[in-house]
Amino acid sequence: MSGFAVRALGVVTGWGRGIEALSAARPAASPAVLAVQPSVRTGERLRRATRECLLAVDAVDALLEDGGLSREDIAGPGTALVYVTAAAYGASNRAFIGGGGGALHFPYTAPSAVPAEVAIEFGLHGPYAVLIGGATATIDAMEHARVLLSRGACARALVLAVETFQECADVLARGGVGCDAPLVEAAVAALLVRADAAERGEALERAAPAESAARERVAPPEPAARERAAPAEPAAPERAVPEAPAARERAAPPEPAPPESAAPESAAPERAAPEAPGAREFNDTLACAPLIALASARARGERRIDLRGAWRGREATTTVGVQGPAHPGWREG
Amino acid sequence: MAAGVVTPIGADLESFWSGLLTGVDGITTIERFRVDDLKVRRGGEIKKLAERTADVSCRATRLLTGAADDLLARAPLDADPRRVAIVLGTALGGVEELELALDDPAETSHAARALYDAPAHALAARLGARGPVMTVSTACASGATALGLGADLLRAGTVDRVIAGGYDILCRFVMRGFDALRSLTRERVRPFDRRRSGLLLGEAAALVMMARDGEAPARLGRLLGHASAGDGVHISAPDPGGRGLALAIRQAMAEAGVDGSAIDLVSAHGTATQLNDRVETRVLRDTLGPRAMTVPVHAIKAGLGHTMGAAATLEAIACLLAARHGLIPHTLGFEEPDPECGLDVVAAVPRAARVRVSLSTSLGFGGCNAALVLEGAAA
Repeated sequence: MSGFAVRALGVVTGWGRGIEALSAARPAASPAVLAVQPSVRTGERLRRATRECLLAVDAVDALLEDGGLSREDIAGPGTALVYVTAAAYGASNRAFIGGGGGALHFPYTAPSAVPAEVAIEFGLHGPYAVLIGGATATIDAMEHARVLLSRGACARALVLAVETFQECADVLARGGVGCDAPLVEAAVAALLVRADAAERGEALERAAPAESAARERVAPPEPAARERAAPAEPAAPERAVPEAPAARERAAPPEPAPPESAAPESAAPERAAPEAPGAREFNDTLACAPLIALASARARGERRIDLRGAWRGREATTTVGVQGPAHPGWREG
Repeated sequence: MAAGVVTPIGADLESFWSGLLTGVDGITTIERFRVDDLKVRRGGEIKKLAERTADVSCRATRLLTGAADDLLARAPLDADPRRVAIVLGTALGGVEELELALDDPAETSHAARALYDAPAHALAARLGARGPVMTVSTACASGATALGLGADLLRAGTVDRVIAGGYDILCRFVMRGFDALRSLTRERVRPFDRRRSGLLLGEAAALVMMARDGEAPARLGRLLGHASAGDGVHISAPDPGGRGLALAIRQAMAEAGVDGSAIDLVSAHGTATQLNDRVETRVLRDTLGPRAMTVPVHAIKAGLGHTMGAAATLEAIACLLAARHGLIPHTLGFEEPDPECGLDVVAAVPRAARVRVSLSTSLGFGGCNAALVLEGAAA
C-alpha cells in the first residue's frame, strides 16, 4: 500500500490563526476552554451554518492559501473528504435540546453537517467518511485516506478535524474531559496525496479517478504504517496508554491475551498520553492534535513525520511525508 | 461473516429473519419517552430489552450488548484480543445521555457517556477487544460505512477479526427532530408505493463478525465491494440527481468486479419519502442499466422503522440471509406501484429466488451515500 504526503495544511486554533500562532501556544491560560471564533462571512449560503461548520470552512480556506491552491483544484469527485471530531456536535445538540428545536436547526445536530457544509462550499463529491473520537480517530481518518488514495478511489484526500467545546464545557468537565487542562478549540485541514506522486512533484490532478477502475478485491496483507500498540503485560491499567513500541508488537507472534475486566461504560475519555510524543503537546485539541502536530513538525522542516494519537486508553500511529516547502519562519515557543 | 441483531421485530437473528418473511410489523405507539407533544407518536420501539445492569445502563450500549450476545452465540470470538477491532456506525451516538446529563447538572455518569463514541468503547471493553475502536457517523449510511472500514482493516492486515455494524436508539431527541422536519408519516410506511408519505423511525443494533476469506469461523457471506461518496449539494436532502449515490454504487461494483448484470437483489434504502425513492430509482436505472427494471428490489424499513445507524447493516444481513435461504422478503406497505419508479419491488409475499450477489444502498443527512456489494453463501 502506498504511503502518503501532505500537500497543504490549514490551521485555526484557540491559540490563534495559522501555524505561526502555535509558537505562543503553551502554557494555556486559566479558562476552561480557549475558544476560537470563525471568520465573519456575509451572504445567504452559510447564514444558518453553525460555528463548527464555519470553522471547518475557515480551515479549508487556510489550507488552500497554504498550498497556493484554488477552489477548483480540489473541487469534484477526485477529492475524498474524511472528517473527524470528538465533540464538535455537542453545541448543536445542546442548542436543539434546550431551544425547542426546529426543522432548520435539526440537520446541524448531526456530525455529518460539518463535512456537508464543506463539501457544498468547495464542491467536493468524492469518497466520504465521518469518524468520531479523539486523536486515534484522526489517525484512523488518515489511514482511511491512505486506503482511498492507494486504491485510486480519489486523487487527493482532505482530512478535516474540528473541535468546539465552549458551549458544552460544563458537561465535558463532568464527563471527565477537560478537567486537568484547558480544552483548546481548533479546526485543522490536511490535503494528502500519494507519496509517489509527491516524489515525482506532480501538480494536483484535477481529473476525477476513473470510476471504472476496479480496485483490488482482496489486497494482500502488507505491513501497514499504522500500528496499534497493545499492552505487553497482564493487568495493565485500563486507561493507561501502552508503552510498547507498536512495530515490535506487530512483529511479535500473538501471545495469550491477558485477562481484562470490562471497563465501566461511564469511564471518562482519557486524553493525556504521557508516553506519546508528537501529538501530546496538542492533546487538549482532541481530534485536532495529530494534524496540529503534523503542521508543527512540517514547520520545523521535518520531511517525514511520525504521528501518534491517544484516546480512551488506545493508541494509533502513522507516518506522513511532506510535499513542498516547510515554513521556515516558525519557531518553537 | 456472521451476524447478531436486536430489532423491533425480533431480538435475535432467527426471529428477525422470520419476522421479515412473515411480515411482522414492529411499528407501535412509543411508550418509553414523552411523545404527546409530537405530531407522530409511533415508531419501531423495542419493548423488551435485556435488563439494565450496574455496568450497562445506557440504552445504546444495551442494544449493542444484546446484538453482541446474539452474534457470539453463533460465532465465538476466537482471535487474539489485540487483533480484534470494533467498528460501529451511529447517527446519534450517546445523545440521549446528553439529554439526561442536561436534566441533572450534578450527575456525572450520563455526561461521560454523552460523546458519540462512548457506546463503541463500552462494547469493546465488554468483549475484551483491544484493537482499534472506531465510530463512524455518516448519518443513516453509517452502518454501511462501518462495514467498509472494517473490511479495510482486515485487508490491510491491521487486525484478524472485526466486529462491525451499527446501532441507534429511538429517543425523544431524534423524534422531535424528524417531527419538526415533517418527514414522519401518520400513515403506513410505503416504500416505492404511489401513496407513500414519509418514514417512521426505529431502533436496533446489528453486528457482524468479519474475517479474511478462509479465516471466518462461520460464514454467512462476503463483502465484495464497498464505497461511499458525498453529494455536496444540501445539508439534509439528497441530491435530486443522485450523483453521489451513483458514484458510490459504481465504485462498489468496480471493487467487487461485477457489473449491473450480476446483481441478483437490490436492498434499497427505501425510506418512503417522495424524494428518496425517486432518487434511488433514477440512480439504479443509471447504474444497473436494463437490469434495473428486472432485478428484485426490496426495502425493509416499513416493518422496522428507519433504524438510522443500524439500518444499512440490517439490510446487508437481510441480503445475505436471502441468499442463504433462497427467499427475498417482501416490502411491507408496497401495494400500488409508483409509475415514476417502476422497479420490480417484491410485494405481498416473499419471493423465491436464487440470490448470489446483492447491492445494498444507503443515503444519509449531509449528503452521505454508501453502497455495499455482497455475496451470499448458500446454506
